[in-house]
Amino acid sequence: MVQILSFSLLAAGVALMLIAAVGVVRFPDLFMRIHCSAKSPSLGVGLIMLGAALYFDDITVSSKAAVIVMFIMVTSPVGAHVLARAAYFAGVPLWRETLSDELRDHYDLKTHELGRPGATPARRPRPPQPDL
Amino acid sequence: MFGTALLGMLGLAIMLGFVRLARGPSLPDRAVALDFIASLVVGFTGVFAVVVDAPVFLDLGLVLALVGFLGTVAFARYIEKGGPPWYKS
Amino acid sequence: MNLLVLNLCLALVWVLLTGTLTLLNLIIGFGIGYFVLLMLRNVFPRARYFRTVPYLIEFLLYFAWELLLANLRVAIDVLTPRHRMHPRVLALPLDVKTDEGITLLANLITLTPGSVSLDVSSDRTVMYLHVMYASDPELVRRTIKEGLERRVIRLLRGIERR
Repeated sequence: MVQILSFSLLAAGVALMLIAAVGVVRFPDLFMRIHCSAKSPSLGVGLIMLGAALYFDDITVSSKAAVIVMFIMVTSPVGAHVLARAAYFAGVPLWRETLSDELRDHYDLKTHELGRPGATPARRPRPPQPDL
Repeated sequence: MFGTALLGMLGLAIMLGFVRLARGPSLPDRAVALDFIASLVVGFTGVFAVVVDAPVFLDLGLVLALVGFLGTVAFARYIEKGGPPWYKS
Repeated sequence: MNLLVLNLCLALVWVLLTGTLTLLNLIIGFGIGYFVLLMLRNVFPRARYFRTVPYLIEFLLYFAWELLLANLRVAIDVLTPRHRMHPRVLALPLDVKTDEGITLLANLITLTPGSVSLDVSSDRTVMYLHVMYASDPELVRRTIKEGLERRVIRLLRGIERR
């Protein structure tokens, strides 16, 4: 009974990760790929580790699994945020159907400072983007 | 048997990650693909530990999660602060 | 904070008494310990612990639900052949002032449906997001402010000591 439950948790996690992988290949621009690669692995690893903890049913194993889940839950959004910020700063183009971009022109490319909307624009605006 | 099928599915997912790694038009795309592959491998260790019935592999997952995160942060730092401009107008 | 340590001690005592060291038993012990402390709440005047724990549980449940929803939504969009997203980069004015609050909010925004935090302005008043389903930007802003930010503020106010 517990085995069935643990294996179905594992299967759910694996399916989620496979779907995310398809998304990472299919989605049109980098930011949407980050949407895929940040959310699904955190929940997927969570489900897999829960399944493993149920399967082994031992305090040392389940505490280890809990530590892994906590660690992934903290680091995966931070990693996504850091990568997305760096990519935007490096000028990676947005998808051509993106409706609006309120972050545009707010960066100061020299000092890496970021203003808020309504403040004076940065000295050098973002270069025009190649079509994706 | 069922566990082996799960491992195969995860392997397929990792291969798709490699497709993005090879195709991704710029360095930031490749960094995202690497970050994604790292978290897939953490999941892989979890499933593998259950399939071979050896909980030691969870330690491997823990270390991989740590190293993968550090790699991601280092890549992002490099993209933002150094290197050539990745997109020129 | 002392009450948390006391509660953990009670959980350990429960584990020692029952003699089975598993994670589930530890959690049961923690629950019973919390109940005992709740009965004794008149002994600890002005303790914020009893208000913080229900907030925390409600927060975790809400968060798990949102995480599930986020994944289902992205999964549906991956599996259907047409792209149906309306992505935007949005500016979100912040009510959270502390650094911890902003960090927590940014992480939660990344993990919940269709939004990734891109950057926070240098004066810490505005957060920029990339949102996947934003045909109506005002609706997205309102959902995040009333759903997540309100809960983060309430939780942090409960945790920090006066």
